[in-house]
Amino acid sequence: MRNESIFIIGASTTRFGELWNSSPRELAKEAFTNALSQSGVGVSNIEALYVGNMLGGMLGHQENIGSFYAEELSLSPVPAFRLEAACASGGVALHNAINSIKAGLYKTVAILGIEKMTDAGGDLVASALMAAGSDEERGSGITFPGLYALMAQAYMQQYKIKEEDLAEVSVKNHYHGSFNHKAQFRFQVSIADVMKSSRIADPLKLLDCSPVTDGAACLVITRDESIIPKNSVSIIASEVGTDTLALHKRSSFTSLRSAKEAAKQAYAKAGVKATDVDVAEVHDCFSIAELIALEDLEFSEVGRAAVDVKKGKFTRGKGKTIVNPSGGLKACGHPVGATGIKQAVEIYEQLMGTAGDKQSVKNAKIGLAHNVGGSGAIATVHIFKKSKMQSAKIKTKFKVQNLQYF
Amino acid sequence: MITTPVKLWRRGKKLVNHIGKTGKLLYWTIVRVPPKNFADQAPYPVGIVRLDDGEMMVGQLVDWTERDLKSGVKVVAVMRRVTHEDPENIIPYGIKFKPV
Repeated sequence: MRNESIFIIGASTTRFGELWNSSPRELAKEAFTNALSQSGVGVSNIEALYVGNMLGGMLGHQENIGSFYAEELSLSPVPAFRLEAACASGGVALHNAINSIKAGLYKTVAILGIEKMTDAGGDLVASALMAAGSDEERGSGITFPGLYALMAQAYMQQYKIKEEDLAEVSVKNHYHGSFNHKAQFRFQVSIADVMKSSRIADPLKLLDCSPVTDGAACLVITRDESIIPKNSVSIIASEVGTDTLALHKRSSFTSLRSAKEAAKQAYAKAGVKATDVDVAEVHDCFSIAELIALEDLEFSEVGRAAVDVKKGKFTRGKGKTIVNPSGGLKACGHPVGATGIKQAVEIYEQLMGTAGDKQSVKNAKIGLAHNVGGSGAIATVHIFKKSKMQSAKIKTKFKVQNLQYF
Repeated sequence: MITTPVKLWRRGKKLVNHIGKTGKLLYWTIVRVPPKNFADQAPYPVGIVRLDDGEMMVGQLVDWTERDLKSGVKVVAVMRRVTHEDPENIIPYGIKFKPV
């Protein structure tokens, strides 16, 4: 039987933020070049390219994204695919890349997550993002902050929490982001800061919301044992769940069935439990989204996530399972198609012990990435494991490159 | 919201069935940063409504006051203009909810 273990051998992100000096091509090239250089393999080893991207068409008027980036990264004529699943485009691209390797089509592939959002105005971005919702939702004039605000209201009513409890998530993630030199926001915020920030969609305020961001992230993954370093990270589960496109058609507004199902399957496939996870990147597009994620992933009991966050259960230096060591979508930023790949890059670095100032766990073994599209219409859960190859033919000494920024 | 005359015509045929139906507001928010084409209406409340026949809908509230913004308020479905005319001068209409 073929060895089905798939390893990450290169992982990199650009800086996240308002990168007005950089084009999408430049961001892609930076992330890919650094990931490839870290992997120790050459362009000729990359057999296919998977691209996670949502808004290239609507904001950049560029479709045919697979070929666009294959050309830019000098990968043509290898097969190249663009995967679109709203804010879960990155996670879905990774899932499909993994499937292609498992199917025996390729041994080594690159996955690029990329989004350029700040070239457009805020109202245009808000409209473009609503393409992830349903026709009825668009007709109601609701926005994504609005949809998550409805979830927040349902959650607050059901579990008797206050707006200040939601704010705790932002406080934690900004604290984590303050250690991340690639994060969009490297400053800390207090509960009072969150509470007095401008209202976006009640009860959510500006500091409950992830920002509009430019950025790219890239992974090189392989099952070719001849190029896997002795110390590496393997992907031990990759699962996707779906639900109705429209929030109001669901049976629950305080949990995402898509994410719960993906998590259940992923834990089963990986043979691990929530309590085994040392570090996780979860999809905190809004403060309420992290509370729901913590419960869907079984890190918290239902209705208890806010209490657990407040106690520091997921905070570096305090908790056992560190959640969003990058600062999450909230502080690190949320270039929608890149987010799912950036989460995997972050978990890889945390497990390898190469996260630098943002290193939040020591000798961690199991990591998890949770990526959500729309208001929960799709979700991916990936589980990662620190691995030591027993009989690896080490081709290059593994080291992290000093990254160049724009 | 992107509309075309054909899309509006197709959708309109179904929307009329909802006019006059009553239900209850479950959850609401006030959209203060609106999408393109909704700017002149903001801020405006949008809610999830459970109609008496069990159907779930999402829609803007109209003719509302502060005291209507609470779960359980009775509403009735009305047909209203959604945004200004599209580039082809077709006015998009949709269902909104009016507190009873």
